Amino acid sequence: MDLETQIRDYIVSEFLSGEDVPDLTDDFDLIENGVVDSLGLVRLISHLSKTYAIPVDDIPLLPSNFRDIEHICAFIRQSPVAASG
Amino acid sequence: MTATTDTTTDTFDTVAAWAEDLNRDNATLDDRGEFPWEKWKTIQRSGILAVPFERRYGGEGRSLTETMRALEGLGYTSRDAGLNFSTSTQIVSVGLVLQAFGNEELTTTYLPKIISGELITAHAITEPTNGSDATGITTTARRDGDDYVLDGEKMFITNAPIADLLLLYVRTGPPGPFGLSCFLVERDTPGLRIGEPLDKMGLRTSPLGAVTLDGVRVPASRRVGQEGAGFLILDHIMKREILLSFSITLGEMTHRLERCVRQARTRTQFGQPIGAYQAVSHKIADMKIAVETARKWLYDTGAKVEAGEDASIDVAATKTVVSEANLRTALDAVQIFGGSGFLSATGVEADVRNAVGGTIYSGTNEVQRNRIASLLGLGSPAGEGVRRG
Repeated sequence: MDLETQIRDYIVSEFLSGEDVPDLTDDFDLIENGVVDSLGLVRLISHLSKTYAIPVDDIPLLPSNFRDIEHICAFIRQSPVAASG
Repeated sequence: MTATTDTTTDTFDTVAAWAEDLNRDNATLDDRGEFPWEKWKTIQRSGILAVPFERRYGGEGRSLTETMRALEGLGYTSRDAGLNFSTSTQIVSVGLVLQAFGNEELTTTYLPKIISGELITAHAITEPTNGSDATGITTTARRDGDDYVLDGEKMFITNAPIADLLLLYVRTGPPGPFGLSCFLVERDTPGLRIGEPLDKMGLRTSPLGAVTLDGVRVPASRRVGQEGAGFLILDHIMKREILLSFSITLGEMTHRLERCVRQARTRTQFGQPIGAYQAVSHKIADMKIAVETARKWLYDTGAKVEAGEDASIDVAATKTVVSEANLRTALDAVQIFGGSGFLSATGVEADVRNAVGGTIYSGTNEVQRNRIASLLGLGSPAGEGVRRG
């Protein structure tokens, strides 16, 4: 399963009650569309840290990294640990 | 005496040599509700403000858990809980945020003076209509050319009446996790007004006040972190605020336990030490359990945060466990000390007043429980950003 699909599945499962929606493309703004709220963001960061073995302190806390699936995948790929794994 | 620079020693004893200075006139200062400026000089001299900061800024380069241990030592040594609280606020509110997120100009300009205690700091999150719900912040920063213009009001800000430097959490975007940003502002910036210290129940030597922003113009270079990163910065720093300020609480609880054991051994009633009665000895046994439970939660969670592991639930649980244990054991101590525990002069009753604050600041315990529930996927009507005002 590619990374985009993994992240998409997680978002569907955790934030959309398991109901997939066609709008959820890789560039769909998760924040502006209210899919991920503030505590949701904390949960998302926690999930990424655990699943991809990225220390929380190594996750760049920049809004641009979390807006959509595309950007989330990009920073995971840039992470030294995830990239080597 | 100067601060230690030996990084192999246990930081618990960082302030131990200054116990006499730190405990002078506690009852009088608490009664007056005054910030103890002479004791602040002692805090500066002790070197405790430098413990977690990088050496290039004048710090000691110690880890999070080593810093927790230093603050536990402060709580054990100093009976001035307000001063202790202002000290942890000084370390956390601006210094650790700048070290993690500040640009080169801000860190080199301000960190050395924060670490020395020359500049006193505060962070302003709470507002008159927004307490534990940090995402509801209404104070705004509007972009205007190379500047931002800040307007709004902050309330219950620890250290504000004495602060030289404030980190303001304000709204720069629509509601949601990326709607907040942080700005570093000096006290004398035009349009910024700081209110008089507010009289309060406990932590009376730690000044608390309001901050009003009326067209405060700050250069964009004073923004800390990316625009919209305020909530993420808040989440990062609140973990450390809770761990550090409640490590102080652990030290205070440990000291209280030892006091109660001495009292139970030496105070006699009906021909024997009161500790011989199970009504008293079980209270003290429960205190010991509370102290060691608090210790395990604090240092296990500190180790997780230090290792970069997810600790969101652990931090919320730690805050709740330690603050409630502190209040419960403070009340038990009054009972064990009896009539003298009810007197202000013994300092036992002050522990109760101070402990109440711990269930409120850094996000109320109700919000911490909401947060845990939400992180378990149970949903929560409130309890997003959690922090001290």
